[in-house]
Amino acid sequence: MRILLVEDEKKVADIVERGLKAERFAVDVWHDGRSGWEAAAAYDYDLIILDLMLPGLSGTEVLERVRRKNQRVPILILTARDGMDDKVKNFEAGADDYLTKPFAFAELLVRIKALLRRGPVNRSSVLRVGDLEIDRLSQNVRRAGKKIELTAKEYALLEYLATQPGRVFSRTMIIEHVWDQSFQGLTNIVDVYVRHLRAKVDDPWPVKLLCTVRGVGYCLSDEEAV
Amino acid sequence: MNARSISLRLVVWYAGLLAGIFVLLCASLYLDLRRFLVNDLRESQARRAREIANTLLVHVRQTGESYVAGQTENWYDPEINDRFIRITRADGTVIYTSGAPKDGSFNPAEVPALPPSSKTEYSQQFKLSGHKTLLIAALNFKSQGNPTYLVEFGALLDPVKTMLNHLFLQLTLGLPLAVFVITAGGYLLVRRALKPVEQITRAAERITQHNLSERLPVSHTGDELERLSVSLNRMIARLEDAFQNSKRFVADASHELRTPLTILRGELEDLAEDTRLDPAVRERVTSLLEEAMHLSKIVEQLSMLSRLDAGEAQTDWSRFDLAELARTTAEQMSLLAEDKGISISCNAHRPLSVEGDRVRLKQVIVNLLDNAIKYTPQNGAIQLRVSANNGHAVLDVEDNGIGIPREALPHVFERFYRVDQSRSVDSEGAGLGLSIVKSICTAHGAEVETESAVGRGSRFRIRLPLAKN
Repeated sequence: MRILLVEDEKKVADIVERGLKAERFAVDVWHDGRSGWEAAAAYDYDLIILDLMLPGLSGTEVLERVRRKNQRVPILILTARDGMDDKVKNFEAGADDYLTKPFAFAELLVRIKALLRRGPVNRSSVLRVGDLEIDRLSQNVRRAGKKIELTAKEYALLEYLATQPGRVFSRTMIIEHVWDQSFQGLTNIVDVYVRHLRAKVDDPWPVKLLCTVRGVGYCLSDEEAV
Repeated sequence: MNARSISLRLVVWYAGLLAGIFVLLCASLYLDLRRFLVNDLRESQARRAREIANTLLVHVRQTGESYVAGQTENWYDPEINDRFIRITRADGTVIYTSGAPKDGSFNPAEVPALPPSSKTEYSQQFKLSGHKTLLIAALNFKSQGNPTYLVEFGALLDPVKTMLNHLFLQLTLGLPLAVFVITAGGYLLVRRALKPVEQITRAAERITQHNLSERLPVSHTGDELERLSVSLNRMIARLEDAFQNSKRFVADASHELRTPLTILRGELEDLAEDTRLDPAVRERVTSLLEEAMHLSKIVEQLSMLSRLDAGEAQTDWSRFDLAELARTTAEQMSLLAEDKGISISCNAHRPLSVEGDRVRLKQVIVNLLDNAIKYTPQNGAIQLRVSANNGHAVLDVEDNGIGIPREALPHVFERFYRVDQSRSVDSEGAGLGLSIVKSICTAHGAEVETESAVGRGSRFRIRLPLAKN
């Protein structure tokens, strides 16, 4: 998988490049709009990550040019601007996703993987993590064959974490997926739900599946906590 | 009418001064005239008394008293001229007294004898029947070899009195009328002159921090009021500039902080997950990462506030049921409260249709509930109520927590405001949650009120206009 990253902030580009390479992606990095556009025109990328504020050509211009030439390639916008107007304008111009700085790398990765429709994004109807079984159709949760009763929100949280076992989800990501925008910033609600979930899913068993990655977020994994 | 308005005060002062001056003027006119007329009458009587003395009595030894009496009668004809004349010798013998006037205006017989006096000339007033007053000028006439005679010459004071009464009546009736007319005229004039002030006041009332681009009306009259409105407009322009600058600063600052924060978070995340590092170092890196996330949150909230300032909440407008929104939000927040042993009771049964940005208004409820949970101790209770009142939907969030001191109440919606250190129990918050509530409400034309008592709890009330049919 080859990813084009156009980001003029060298340090941000560096972090994203390192992270993506660790995930075994091939990454090309350009720091200005014109080079980015030329690279996008010359190679067939699987995904383009585009910053909006670029020297040379603006991100929006690059986006429009790429879309005129190639309808297919997924484009993720990375920006420091988070106005609604900007978002709408860029989605109209053909962006597939939008991430506002500052972001958690874990979140960027989840979005990239969702755009690439590959990897461990599990779409099957039954999710399994260790001896935990989540039936997405009946919304039944069993551990070691024993049924666990969960509230709707607890279930939604568990299911979200189980879509990518081992991947760390930031509180912000969890809020955005399980709650909604109105809860932005109210990250302690996630902690409370995780605690309740833990009491039901983990506490009765010796092996703990829900792990906390301090400062980053939570994950569901049957391996030893990171 | 406002008792302290300039127009009223001007007119009251003006009418008061005018009435005072008028009263003084009329009183002095009246008193002067009365003194003048009475003196004049007295003087003319005294002159005649002297005439009698100097022309007739001076020769009384040669002519005899009866001649004096006859000549007096002839010269002054008192019955026709309505005069009273009496000449009395010092021994009390009256040598002449005038008869009753032809018009019967008084009866000379009623005039008592004048008490003796050592003065040469003096005067006396007598009250006669029929409310008449007789003014008498008296003269003690002494000449060598002759007995002393008292010459009295009198006239009725009543014509003077009638005239003065008439004048008095005219003045007492005319004065209030004049003052009233002048006051009313003055009031109308002042009102007209101050009308632009009313307009300026109304226009100034309409201008808040949200429509600072508006200006006051300027009447091109070249007077003080034009200068005033021009100066005020310049001041509003400077205010607008200052507001714009501070808003732009917040927007720019939160924008500029994003990139360095991204780098900071990215690097710290990377380090925190690096298993090669010493666990103690990772622990410290994680602590740094938490602070970086806290910073990100502040930047996020500041940038949300700038977007609200720029009118972003108007972009996603829809009509929805506020009661339903309150119920679901309370439901979603209940676990957070239960975790602290706090109960949330929601009283919102009747559907209430309002218009606005649903996500933003939900955030208002979330922030208010979150705030209530933070400042309510264990086993406390929070009530969320939604009701309709007077064309408004009223949303109350009431807790029985620690409350807010009176002096802090006006500031709780200010950015970064914290009541005091002991209230900052939550290290995550930046003191922006209630500012966001206020901004969202303002963008929706809603009012926010706060009531609180230390130790007993707080109540936040949002009044949002109901959707029109």
